[in-house]
Amino acid sequence: MFIAMILNIMYVKAIGVTQGVLARVAGQDMWLATLFGTLEGVVLVYLTYVVIRRTPDKDYIQLGQLMLGRWLSSIVALAIFAFFLAAFGPIMITFVYHLRDYFLPDAPLWIFVATSLIVGAIGCYYGLEVMGRVAVIGLLFIFTLNVLITLGSLQEFDIWNLLPVMESGLPKTAKASMHYLADCAMATMMGTLILPLVKNVEKGHGRFGVLGILGSGLVITIWAILEGAVLSAEVTSQYTLSCMKLARNAHLGTFLQRYEMIMIALYSLPALFEVMFCIYGTSVSMSRIFGLKSNRPMILPCCIVLGLFGYWVIEDHFRALDYLENYWPYIGLPIAIGLPIVMLLLRVLLSHKLQRKSA
Amino acid sequence: MKRIFCCLLLLVLTVPLLASCTMGLRQINELAMVAAVGLDIGDKPGTIQLSAQIIRPADARGQTGAPSGGTGEPIYSISTEGTSIFDAIRNMGQLSSRRVYWAHNFLIVMSEQYARKGIDDMIDFFTRNHELRMNTWVAVSSDKPAEVISTVTGLEVVPGEAVDRLFRDHRIPARAPGTNMRSLEESYLSRSTEPVIARVSLEARGISNKKPGEHGSIKQVELRGAAAFRDNKMVGWLTTNDARGVLFFLEKLNKGLEVISCPDSDTNTITLEFNETKLKVTPSYVQGRPRFDVRLTSSADIVENGCSESTEQLRKAASEGLDQELTTLLKDVIDKAQHKYRSDFLKLGDLFRNKYPVEWKKLGRDWNDAFAEAEITVEVEATVKSGVVKATGKGIK
Repeated sequence: MFIAMILNIMYVKAIGVTQGVLARVAGQDMWLATLFGTLEGVVLVYLTYVVIRRTPDKDYIQLGQLMLGRWLSSIVALAIFAFFLAAFGPIMITFVYHLRDYFLPDAPLWIFVATSLIVGAIGCYYGLEVMGRVAVIGLLFIFTLNVLITLGSLQEFDIWNLLPVMESGLPKTAKASMHYLADCAMATMMGTLILPLVKNVEKGHGRFGVLGILGSGLVITIWAILEGAVLSAEVTSQYTLSCMKLARNAHLGTFLQRYEMIMIALYSLPALFEVMFCIYGTSVSMSRIFGLKSNRPMILPCCIVLGLFGYWVIEDHFRALDYLENYWPYIGLPIAIGLPIVMLLLRVLLSHKLQRKSA
Repeated sequence: MKRIFCCLLLLVLTVPLLASCTMGLRQINELAMVAAVGLDIGDKPGTIQLSAQIIRPADARGQTGAPSGGTGEPIYSISTEGTSIFDAIRNMGQLSSRRVYWAHNFLIVMSEQYARKGIDDMIDFFTRNHELRMNTWVAVSSDKPAEVISTVTGLEVVPGEAVDRLFRDHRIPARAPGTNMRSLEESYLSRSTEPVIARVSLEARGISNKKPGEHGSIKQVELRGAAAFRDNKMVGWLTTNDARGVLFFLEKLNKGLEVISCPDSDTNTITLEFNETKLKVTPSYVQGRPRFDVRLTSSADIVENGCSESTEQLRKAASEGLDQELTTLLKDVIDKAQHKYRSDFLKLGDLFRNKYPVEWKKLGRDWNDAFAEAEITVEVEATVKSGVVKATGKGIK
């Protein structure tokens, strides 16, 4: 279930929105940037695991409480809240623009935000088990969509469009991978909250997170390769949602034309899972800051805050793309990388204290 | 009590959201389904003339389109002008009783004048609009697009569909490339290739059933030739032979027909169908100049022999004749690309860029000029292998 959740939280944004960004930065090396990002994500998720390895029953907030008391746990909770709030912007860009720009251009924006938050809140209210099961079904949808889009794109697949390899150069490609790493960061920050709840996490030795990131990398790189080979990097770079552009080109013979409806039908569950977990992450963080036992009382206030922020981001396409490319990685990555490093350093410095408390 | 309250709250919140299903709602009988669209320079300066072939559902039915009760044509053609494509389409709302719907559009035809002025706006509009399919065919015509799209042509009830099928089977006659919005957008945005667009024209080829003596009295849309572009403006036409040459490079054409003269007669001919054709282009960089070695190998069947000799006797001459024809074909189109139009629509730039990315950084800025100076050699090897079902000898010995 944890692996399914990782795939679900990364997939929807990474296949289209992120690929467009990668194409604009790295050209036809977008698939390489995705692979680099996957490797970086593996390191990041393992680092996230290493922090809680000795106290597998404690999440980051509880660990902070154990190490330096309430003030550290509040700072950690605040950082996690800020991360998921910032992540909600790109998630809304993905969800709303898929539906609005391609299907319902006349519908008001608030309907998309409200609908996703209502569904997300219901899922979050019923807890992680329900969210996990949604993710498992979402995994099936992800595989189905990947198979269908591959079949629908084979006719126009031209591997030469991906050449020459490394034309952008290693520094540019590595810099581009940062955008994909920001997607991996959503998975790792999910891990900071729910790793202790994963069955036998201490016996897994970090395998679950690593497998999740690798699996995500595999299914997402397929899209990077398809978009580069079928559309070409120049075309991919022109669009906010490159995945929908690819879906628009895909067809099975002359009978099944255009895949946009298939895309929307199959990606909806993973997209809603992303929203659900954003609500979960923010509500859990807030409940810990206010010392509440359950996150349920915080769901509604967090939905309002997320909704307002999400609406502000997506209201203007130019602002949305500016936020996506120039702000989101620089907000998300420092938290996702910095938090495990800081927690690990504190663990090392306070190892005796932790041992005493454990004893 | 709490559960009932939550259910009621959910209901109150979601019912208004269901009203969103009316936003963007369009019933099918409110739609004017466009089957073909034509773009031309408007009568007033700075305007664009847009003509649309719209399906009339009441009269477009059955295999023959014979209306039962309807009295009109299966299509309704309409033309408007505007300062931009979108403006022209909006102006169509002043004439059309239904809202224009692009999702079933088969064809976009541009006039030669429109293509020569530049196609940036056309590509931007049709790719920015989410309704249009990317497999919509694109063509240029020396005839008026309004006339092309309003001509009832082909075997299909809807002429747009007839042209769609012409394009779908374009590799059989292999006289024009199959350009659609997807491939056009790709070549338009590419830094290493220029677009080439198929040509359609109106030719008097149809024979009236009511007046069979008047041969070729009905104009039909013919798919033949292509238009070459440079910097997104049309620079000239390509003949049917040039277009076949283009197909080798762009679409890996592996089958086609060539007719060559008999060795002992100028009037009699032998028809060869070449197949299993492979084109290999090897780029190289010699003394600061790009170089391409083009090699075409093919086998061929004798599908029609009008010569006095048997196919066995003709085999060598036929192979040589086919070699020569294909070599001339390739050389002509390369010469046109390099010297007449100075436009790399053969995608040789892609090959050079893939193999020499470092040199590409230097040459890529002015690739069309570097391409014009490139040395290109052509070698063709064609072998006649079969007379299809007939024996290779003359009969009874």
